Amino acid sequence: MSVYRLIFGTLAAVLLVALPPTLGLGWQNTLTDVLIASLFAAAFNLLMGQGGMLSFGHAAYYGLGAFAVLHLMGAIENGFPFPTPLLPLAGGLAGLIAGLGAGYFATQRTGVYFSLVTLALAEMPHALAPHWKGAFGGESGLSSMRMPSMGFSFGSSLEVYYVTLAWVVACIALLYAYTHTPFGRLTLALRDNEQRVRFMGYNAHATKTLVFGISAMFSGVAGGLLAMSSETANYSIFSTQVSAQVVLHTIVGGSGLFFGPIIGASVLTLFTFLMSEMTRSWLLYQGIIFTLVMLYAPSGIGSIIQAHIVQRSRLPWGRLVLPYTLSAIGILLAAAAIVFVVQMSEHIFSQSYRAMIERTGAWEPVVLFSVSWQPLSPATWIPPLIAFAAGFLLLTRLRGTIARLWHEDRRDPDPSVVPAHGTA
Amino acid sequence: MSRQPTPPHPMATEDHVLVIQNLDKHFDGLPIMRGVDLAIRRGERHAVLGPNGAGKSTLFNLISGAYPPSAGVITLNGRPIQGLAPERINRMGLARSFQITNIFSRLSAFENIRMGVMARHGVLFDLFSRIQAKHRINEESRALLDRVRLGHRAETAAADLTYSEQRALEIGMTLATSPEVILLDEPTAGMSREETFYIVELIRDVTKGKTLLVVEHDMSVVFSLCDRISVLVYGQILATGTPDEIRANREVQEAYLGEEAA
Repeated sequence: MSVYRLIFGTLAAVLLVALPPTLGLGWQNTLTDVLIASLFAAAFNLLMGQGGMLSFGHAAYYGLGAFAVLHLMGAIENGFPFPTPLLPLAGGLAGLIAGLGAGYFATQRTGVYFSLVTLALAEMPHALAPHWKGAFGGESGLSSMRMPSMGFSFGSSLEVYYVTLAWVVACIALLYAYTHTPFGRLTLALRDNEQRVRFMGYNAHATKTLVFGISAMFSGVAGGLLAMSSETANYSIFSTQVSAQVVLHTIVGGSGLFFGPIIGASVLTLFTFLMSEMTRSWLLYQGIIFTLVMLYAPSGIGSIIQAHIVQRSRLPWGRLVLPYTLSAIGILLAAAAIVFVVQMSEHIFSQSYRAMIERTGAWEPVVLFSVSWQPLSPATWIPPLIAFAAGFLLLTRLRGTIARLWHEDRRDPDPSVVPAHGTA
Repeated sequence: MSRQPTPPHPMATEDHVLVIQNLDKHFDGLPIMRGVDLAIRRGERHAVLGPNGAGKSTLFNLISGAYPPSAGVITLNGRPIQGLAPERINRMGLARSFQITNIFSRLSAFENIRMGVMARHGVLFDLFSRIQAKHRINEESRALLDRVRLGHRAETAAADLTYSEQRALEIGMTLATSPEVILLDEPTAGMSREETFYIVELIRDVTKGKTLLVVEHDMSVVFSLCDRISVLVYGQILATGTPDEIRANREVQEAYLGEEAA
């Protein structure tokens, strides 16, 4: 295991350090966003996965971190001596203070009520920010410039990427170390059984408040990194969409694993970057992915990967190849069908196409994937339907087969009990 | 209601570690605890018997701080504890188990115990050391796990233990904060004969030198394990005495023991 870990870790490190200079500006910025989203998700999951508290308002601490950093950047512009690479500290401090305050109130309730309190608390800065020019720059928000520091200009995207990388790696390492401290273990116990924690002599409320504060602190660092990279922020950073996004990243990746949310945030941020260039329906696709993960892999992508790694010596890989390949084909068929229908609909329901129907009275052919399709012809819609049905059928059939191969107990092949069955 | 000839009111003369005086508890005006007096001697094993709904669990909840009494005084080593938060009462030396198994289901058996040992060592907000480096805590947790005979199950998730193992773990967790007074709420509930025997032996062993207050339905357990018994009926103590005294007590027989004691 440790050898695999070493190889994987080295590979990841080399890629993260050596790859970006070879990439274009768009990719460099996107990778910075991936890093920031990963840290935000990891910080959020400290509260959700480890502490068992689902916050619907983490945009607040993320946003406050961003604005704190913008203020500090402004002060540096005006001559305040502070090294630019340490800017995110201001974000962490703002997140910690706000988190301790909000956590004090929110953690007095549990479950749904906790979530609702966090949601309500996060609405406050969202409502306040557009009207408060001094703190949040009003509706247009705040902008500041990164100042040269310590011999670096911090002008290029690449420099920002490396500063972000250093911060994210350090923060994620700290969050990982947290899980091995006595307080980190207490956090897990609290998630499992708050009552028992109290009857063992721990102050559960103070503990939860601190967990909330630490999660908000690292969220604030993430927000601060975002501000440092984009040099601007406005009240929309406090929107519920930002809060929902981190929940989504965490759940798709798997909240039960430390690295799950990081995987989820990376995959979905990259996905958004790639898809938003191609289609306006990327949010819909993201919703479909979320729904499918919830339905068929509720413990997240990370858990599926983890299960394969943990069980790798036990799994009958040879017999899994065929069902896995067929599953991949099934997924591709169903995905292709969905993409086709969504893209066709996007085109047909677009304003320009509607206007054209008004004008000419005819449904003109639609060019999609370099092919011309008649929108009113069944020949356009029947193939995707068949492809979807075939893919769906294939997947439902294979689920059982794969599950059987997974759960087959191969440790005690007792010939007297298990009748000998021919292996391929 | 007249009291049977139980010992005279227990103050001063004897060494009492836990004293309950005139304890009342109402839920929405409904009286559940009605003037309970109870004095637990240092080092004794004391059982609370009573029919369902007599208020036994309420009594435990009041003592351990789950909720405050409506009236009355509870003292632990002479210091009033009524109405204090459970964590404070725990730190003053009183720990309890629960009738329904109440463990950290996703943590290992070892870690369930270690949570208590950590609390006893005052490790409450330690963010800056590695738990693996806390050698004394780990050693004591290991020893306690062995003592409740779960050493071979150390790394098993608590949820995957058998029922009787979970009950043993429950007792281990109660002991982990090293309390002077231990409250066990129906430790043998839902157990087979052998499992009951196993748990009773365990309780006898691990409560040596401690004070035990136990709610228990199994008469044979109560009579064999405990030095004294109090009978609680409708929120009042009907009688307190040695097992023989309680067996011979006519009022208790009528109220509760019925044919079992005959």
